[in-house]
Amino acid sequence: MSEMANTDPEGIDGVRMTWNAWPRTKVEASKCVIPLAACISPIRPHPDIPSLPYTPLRCKTCASVLNPYARVDFTAKIWICPFCFQRNHFPPHYGMISDINLPGELYPQYTTVQYVLPESANPNDVVSGGVSQSNLPPPVFLFVLDTCMIEEEMGFVKSSLLRAIGLLPENALVGFVSFGTQVQVHELGFSDMSKVYVFRGNKEIPKEQVLEQLGLGIPGRRPVGATAGGYQPKPVQNGFPGSGIDRFLLPASDCEYTLNSVLDELQTDQWPVPPGSRASRCTGVALSVAAGLLGACLPGTGARIVALVGGPCTEGPGSIVSKDLSDPVRSHKDLDKDAAPYFKKAVKFYEGLGKQLVSQGHVLDVFASALDQVGVAEMKVAIEKTGGLVVLSESFGHSVFKDSFKRIFEGGEQSLGLCFNGTLQINCSKDIKIQGIIGPVTSLEKKGPSVADTTIGEGNTTEWKMCGLDKSTCLTVFFDLSSSDRSNTPGAVNPQLYLQFLTRYQNTDGQMMLRVTTVSRAWIDTAISSEELVQGFDQETAAVVMARKTSLKMETEESFDATRWLDRSLIRLCSKFGEYRKDDPSSFMLNPCFSLFPQFMFNLRRSQFVQVFNNSPDETAYFRMLLNRENITNAAVMIQPSLMSYSFNSPPRPVLLDVASIAADQILLLDSYFSVVIFHGMTIAQWRNMGYHTQPEHQAFAELLRAPHADADMIIHERFPVPRLVVCDQHGSQARFLLAKLNPSATYNNANEMAAGSDVIFTDDVSLQVFFEHLQRLAVQS
Amino acid sequence: GVDLNALPRPLDGDMEPKLFNEMYPSNCSSRFLRLTTSGIPSSQSLASRWHLPLGAVVCPLAEAPDGDEVPVINFSNSGIVRCRRCRTYVNPYVTFTDAGRKWRCNMCSLLNDVPGEYFAHLDSTGKRVDLDQRPELTRGSVEFVAPTEYMVRPPMPPLYFFLIDVSVSAVRSGMIEVVAKTIRSCLDQLPGFPRTQIGFATYDSTIHFYNLKSSLTQPQMMVVSDLDDIFVPLPDDLLVNLSESRSVVEAFLDSLPSMFQDNLNIESAFGPALKASLLLMRQLGGKLLIFQNTLPSLGIGRLKLRGDDLRVYGTDKEHVLRLPEDPFYKQMAAEFTKFQIGVNLYAFSDKYTDIASLGALAKYTGGQVNFYPNFQSSIHGEKLRHELARDLTRETAWEAVLRIRVGKGVRFTSYHGNFMLRSTDLIALPAVDCDKAFAMQFSLEEALLTTQTVYFQVALLYTASCGERRIRVLTAAAPVVPDLGEMYRHADTGAIVTLLSRLAIEKTLSSKLEDARSSLQLRIVKALKEYRNLHSVQHRLGGRIIYPESLKFLLLYGLALTKSTTLRGGYADVTLDERCAAGFTMMVLPVKNLLKLLYPSLIRVDEHLLKSSGHDDLTSIEKRLPLTAASLDSRGLYLCDDGFRFILWFGRVLSPDIAMNLLGPDCAAELSKVILGEHGNEMSRKLMRMLNKLRESDSSYYQLCQLVRQGEQPREGVLFLSNLVEDPIGGTNGYVEWVLQIHRQVQQNP
Ligand SMILES: [Zn+2]
Ligand SMILES: [Zn+2]
Repeated sequence: MSEMANTDPEGIDGVRMTWNAWPRTKVEASKCVIPLAACISPIRPHPDIPSLPYTPLRCKTCASVLNPYARVDFTAKIWICPFCFQRNHFPPHYGMISDINLPGELYPQYTTVQYVLPESANPNDVVSGGVSQSNLPPPVFLFVLDTCMIEEEMGFVKSSLLRAIGLLPENALVGFVSFGTQVQVHELGFSDMSKVYVFRGNKEIPKEQVLEQLGLGIPGRRPVGATAGGYQPKPVQNGFPGSGIDRFLLPASDCEYTLNSVLDELQTDQWPVPPGSRASRCTGVALSVAAGLLGACLPGTGARIVALVGGPCTEGPGSIVSKDLSDPVRSHKDLDKDAAPYFKKAVKFYEGLGKQLVSQGHVLDVFASALDQVGVAEMKVAIEKTGGLVVLSESFGHSVFKDSFKRIFEGGEQSLGLCFNGTLQINCSKDIKIQGIIGPVTSLEKKGPSVADTTIGEGNTTEWKMCGLDKSTCLTVFFDLSSSDRSNTPGAVNPQLYLQFLTRYQNTDGQMMLRVTTVSRAWIDTAISSEELVQGFDQETAAVVMARKTSLKMETEESFDATRWLDRSLIRLCSKFGEYRKDDPSSFMLNPCFSLFPQFMFNLRRSQFVQVFNNSPDETAYFRMLLNRENITNAAVMIQPSLMSYSFNSPPRPVLLDVASIAADQILLLDSYFSVVIFHGMTIAQWRNMGYHTQPEHQAFAELLRAPHADADMIIHERFPVPRLVVCDQHGSQARFLLAKLNPSATYNNANEMAAGSDVIFTDDVSLQVFFEHLQRLAVQS
Repeated sequence: GVDLNALPRPLDGDMEPKLFNEMYPSNCSSRFLRLTTSGIPSSQSLASRWHLPLGAVVCPLAEAPDGDEVPVINFSNSGIVRCRRCRTYVNPYVTFTDAGRKWRCNMCSLLNDVPGEYFAHLDSTGKRVDLDQRPELTRGSVEFVAPTEYMVRPPMPPLYFFLIDVSVSAVRSGMIEVVAKTIRSCLDQLPGFPRTQIGFATYDSTIHFYNLKSSLTQPQMMVVSDLDDIFVPLPDDLLVNLSESRSVVEAFLDSLPSMFQDNLNIESAFGPALKASLLLMRQLGGKLLIFQNTLPSLGIGRLKLRGDDLRVYGTDKEHVLRLPEDPFYKQMAAEFTKFQIGVNLYAFSDKYTDIASLGALAKYTGGQVNFYPNFQSSIHGEKLRHELARDLTRETAWEAVLRIRVGKGVRFTSYHGNFMLRSTDLIALPAVDCDKAFAMQFSLEEALLTTQTVYFQVALLYTASCGERRIRVLTAAAPVVPDLGEMYRHADTGAIVTLLSRLAIEKTLSSKLEDARSSLQLRIVKALKEYRNLHSVQHRLGGRIIYPESLKFLLLYGLALTKSTTLRGGYADVTLDERCAAGFTMMVLPVKNLLKLLYPSLIRVDEHLLKSSGHDDLTSIEKRLPLTAASLDSRGLYLCDDGFRFILWFGRVLSPDIAMNLLGPDCAAELSKVILGEHGNEMSRKLMRMLNKLRESDSSYYQLCQLVRQGEQPREGVLFLSNLVEDPIGGTNGYVEWVLQIHRQVQQNP
């Protein structure tokens, strides 16, 4: 069970590829079925990454950064760019360079280095290490709170907010917007009484008007304290002197008291809701007002809108459903039948909002807590393009929300490492073309020779914007090969290909960083041997990439049949890489490098990513956003949950994701990413109910009960969003959370064959075994 | 020649007509209703020879002296007894017949059934036996409690909404602080406890609402900046029950002055602020008090600095300056009235602020304009404090309509004052109080009146602050007279001057000032000529000037009217805003206040101050002097009181002791900078006591005391000498010249 290994498959580079050896031609590549793709974690921390306090050297032709793969002529003080073979002279301050005196970026093991960029990027000022902390822009948090909710929910969300504000760094700037029928922007810097600016909820407001109406536009109309000479609550300190925005965004330390009292007196939306109606909730306008407000910040300021939403937008632009309660929120069926009259308009609105936020470099986070849908499906585009966080839960009182929300504001080890204003640039060897990225990025439409003709995800560029990114952000880059016949190219055929990922971003302290990761892989001639190709196959990565690509196609291609497409891909892969005699299914054998892949595909077909009709569009959007931004290991768990078994006789061990793994005297721990299930076998549950674990002579039983909880805690502790923890007993109602994820090897169709103490799954799904039989038969067909 | 000293002067102020009430003791008091002549002409041809206005001045809520309150009657069982045909309310002039089973309407003579519950036997003289328990049958002023059929909705609670300018000029004037403190100090006296509702909005370039929900620990300010599409930011809690939200309201008023002290906003989104107020108030109606300091500059209703151009004066465009520039204000006023909102405008600007336009808000909603040009709280604070307090605490009638009925053959044709005419004879008054009087004119509908008496009945249907719906009914009878002499005998100069003033001010809105003055003069001339013709037959008049005794002050009041702020001179004499403001004010003044404004009282006070103390009897000093420089002694100290302000005139050679006592160390300073205050000596205290006593005699306005020294020019001229209406100043007629001029014109053949 290699996926359980403790090793760090990403290594220092944080890069995993579907294929670690690349075929030389486009034709060969397409025969490989699984696309050439790299999953990169652009700012994943690693203890071995050196930090270099100077600006990097760049190739004068292709602008790639000096790296260990460059050939260096120490005597001539020249380096040759591995991407374009340009000979570059070292600048004078590299004069002391020699094979025993290398700068960090040339150490062979430092394929990933991190440059700490001086604030005013003065190219001559190479070692400007002494960046003064005080000048760094503080992070901005603009909370946008829905007030259309029952008192109880309001109480929950208020207390979460209060706790969050207490956790913010003192210099973080905080703003507060509440909304319901209308939008209220709270002027936290106004000391005389609580003060809000109110906007209509049913009307789209351009950014300029937001600023003007907040008194951030014309100087002669600025209200109290906004103009020089008048009272200024906290001048200059905020970093936006004179703009007047310091009335709305205050350092956490200065406004904590005000915010506490604002929250204290904040009421649920006061406008009457007629019976049979939904509350009038103008989420769209609230978000665009918030975006407009942040637009008054200096460009390049890391800012995030933290939206807390308790229901669907029903008022103004961005509405996803009518106010009439007898009108249900759109389902996948409605979307399929084009019977969701609000959907396209809302998506278009959020697309525009996303664009505005991206141009400002700001992030949209959405915390949606409601029993019904709130419109995450529509908002997805704005969240994803800005690199925002999203958490979906049933209630603001639920731990999924509460604990996740807290995580955002925690520092230290627990910190999510939220960074801002990222850009990713990719350089690659000649003949490699970039098709695009799936993940929380926006294309900057920067064309170049390495841009592919076909696009996947955010494409048509070699540079992307990531307004928000964190240490677990993961992106999938799709590559293609140029169609020209390479053998005709004059000169030596280079045996290695190179990819360089340049990530520029503002770290949690506001410091600009540049992470440079350069990877190299071998080109191989598959006509000669496919051995190397097969050995370089990363099954887990391939499964995740297929899942991401499938999700994207389902979203963007009309009447795309995901199951069929996955099946055909798998069959083609097995046909190409399996060993068999034609038309003899029993002869079929698969190299261990591929052996896990069919099972991944089996589970992907059954997963929430493909079987969307079991979920709401909001849930699907949520699952997909997380699928696209999580690392390979976590994403793989979403597709194919892990299952551990705890028993008296052996240490915890992974077991098959199969109904056959259920046993009366064992405890199972299922991790399906979004939920973690502890499942007590019947006997275990009985013993526990009888209280054996409290008796001193049954110490071992107490420990057995504790062990899965400890492991679950560890998973929960490390994950964002915090998964739902379900503790259940065999035959209990909650057991469905486990059963839904298990392979139905024992269904009611074959119930008579099952062993005592095991379970039956009531389903018509094909079992893994049947699936394999079909696969073998089809793969060997001539 | 004419002997100035022999000319008549109204030194005893307004003379209420006696004849009227003597003839008809059941008539309502002349506080409430005055006719220009209570001799009603018997024919149209007679009326046409009258030349003066034929009409009435009605002050329906005039303050009654203690003991003379209007009785409130509750016909809970029988319903209010009214004539079936003409809807006249039962009154002292109806007659009962048929053993008390029928009553005859005095207006239309219809014989009505007496409702069973109202039945009473008649005594031998034909009077009802229960007459002494029926004030409605003995008194001309009564109030009926109205049953539900007189309501279109439950009676509204008294509601006060304050709309306050907080732009930089408002802040600097100190107005906001005075307003906030005054409102706070009046909270206990606002009528209608515990139903009273209150709310606030402030504005500069944006509109600020205040959430005053009773559960809040402090108010919440809600800014709305969408001026083109104004809206209300909360469904409730912007207008709250005062007693429930008292602490939040107080917290708001306490922080209001400091909240904007550093505001540098120069704009005024006044129009949008008005719309916002309407949105808030339209549910209930009420009183909107506006405190305005900056010319409306943003959004709908923004106004231009209209050139008060010298060259416009004397042209036919002159009057346009005195009319609203933007129809928005009249439209808003119409909306306000529709939703039972009365507007009082307090204006404070030191610059042109277009009172002509803004005043329309008060004019058509039954409100008033209080103008404090160049307001500075250190100087004018006291005046504002008193007048605002008066506004807030005086008894107010809410959601009112007023109608005046009159007997057959007579018809009211025009109404003059601040109100909106809802139909041809129904005056809508969203909020009305004791300080508002309405003038109206009537004419004969038929060539000959066949009755001996004409009855008038004013009915004011309103909601009292206590929540009761009431009808105040004022009834009066007047004799029909066959000749002009009788009409003159029954003439009431006060009512005539009041009507003439209203008409003259209206004339300035369609003509040049000069035309308004000359048409006034022409009316007087015509009236006197007619009178002369009447007597030339019997008497050899020669060159003598003759006028009816009842109109002996008409000439002087007429002269004073041409010299009043509204009609005086031309471009340079009065600023446009002050002229317009004076016009709005004079249009609502009751007779007494108007006469005092036209002919202020001038009294010498130094002698009084020198008398031994303990002698505070006002009558000893209330010897009013003719308004001419000849009344002044350079050794004296004089007080001029027009009901709106005091001017204390220091004679050039006034004893320095007196000046020292009254002014303290300031006595040598420039008097424009000195604010009169009490000093630690008896004389000073005595003066202050005296001023306060004078103020108490009529508290509808507060007289701020301004000081001027003889010869201190040009201040003396503007402030004081302009009040000496009998003197020829700046090319105007003196009393003598005026009399001679009129006399000449009277003698000219038509
Ligand atoms: Zn290069
Ligand atoms: Zn009648």
